[in-house]
Amino acid sequence: VTPSPLHPLAKAYLKRLKRTARRRRLRRARRKELIAEIEGHLREAIPPEASDADARGVIDRLGEPAEIVESAIPPGTETTGRRGFQVWAAIVLVLGGGFILPVLGWLLGIVLLWTSTAWTKREKLIGTLVIPGGLGTVPWLWLILWTSCLHGTAQHCLPGETNVPAVLYSLVGAVLVVAPILTAIFLGLRARRTVG
Amino acid sequence: MHSIVPEGASDIATSQLRRGVLEFCVLALLRDGERYGFELVRTLGQADGLVTSEGTLYPLLTRLRREGLVETNWRESRSGPPRRYYRLTPAGDAALGAFTAEWERFRASVDALLDLGEASR
Repeated sequence: VTPSPLHPLAKAYLKRLKRTARRRRLRRARRKELIAEIEGHLREAIPPEASDADARGVIDRLGEPAEIVESAIPPGTETTGRRGFQVWAAIVLVLGGGFILPVLGWLLGIVLLWTSTAWTKREKLIGTLVIPGGLGTVPWLWLILWTSCLHGTAQHCLPGETNVPAVLYSLVGAVLVVAPILTAIFLGLRARRTVG
Repeated sequence: MHSIVPEGASDIATSQLRRGVLEFCVLALLRDGERYGFELVRTLGQADGLVTSEGTLYPLLTRLRREGLVETNWRESRSGPPRRYYRLTPAGDAALGAFTAEWERFRASVDALLDLGEASR
C-alpha cells in the first residue's frame, strides 16, 4: 500500500521532531524508530484532506517535539550538550596536548578521556595506546635521536648510514603522525553516537 | 490556614504519579489481547488526566518492549502504513498482576487517609 501524502502541518511537525532528535543526539536507531512511530501516528490521525484546525488538534495532543525526544532518553543519561566541552577538550589534548605542554598536556587529555562517559572502555584504551603522547611524541623522539647524535651515543645518525632502510624511518614517522590523527577522528565519531 | 506545600508541588506529585502508573495502564490495556500502537496511544490519550502529550507514549512503548514486558509484530494495514501490534509477555502479565495488587492496597490506604483528613476538618 502506497502511503498517502502527509498533511503539510504534519510534515512540518515531523521535520521539527527530526531536527530536535538530531540536536539532542538521540541514537540513530532510536531516532529512526521514534520518527517512524510518530509518522505512523500522524498518518493514521490526520487524513491528507483534514482541515488545518483538525491537524493542529492532533499535533497539540502529540505534544512538543522536545518533550517527546526528552522522554526517549533514558533517565540519568548524560547528553552531548553538557559533556560537549569535556569530549572536545579530551580529543584535542590526547592528540596535541603533548605539543602544548610536554607529557602533562597529554596526561590531562587522558584524565578527561577516562572520566568521560562518552566512550566505552575499549575506545578509551585505543585513545590511550594509539599513540601514547599523541602528536607530541614525534618531536620528542627526534630530539632524543638528535641529542644522542650530538653526544655520540648513537653510532649512525642519518638514515642512510644505518642498516635500517630509509623507507622504514619514513614509515615509522608517518605512523606516529597518522595514527594519533586517526584515533582522534575515531574518538570524535564515537562520541557523536550517543543517547537513547 | 496557609499551606506548607510549596506552590506547584501538587503538580509535580501528580506528574510523578502519572509517570509511575502509566506503564501499567498500557499493560492493562493489553490484558485482553493485542492492540496496535496508535490505538493504545489514542485510548490512553482519552483517559482523563492520564496523558499530557500522546507523543511521549511511543518512547514508553519502546521501553516496555526493551524490558520484555510486551512484544510486538508488524502487520500490513489496508487503510495505511503497516501497524506495529503490541502483546503482553508472561513477564508483563506478572508485572501487571503485582502492580494491581499493590495499587489496591495503596489506593485503599490513601483514600482512608484522605477521608480521615476530610472528616477532621
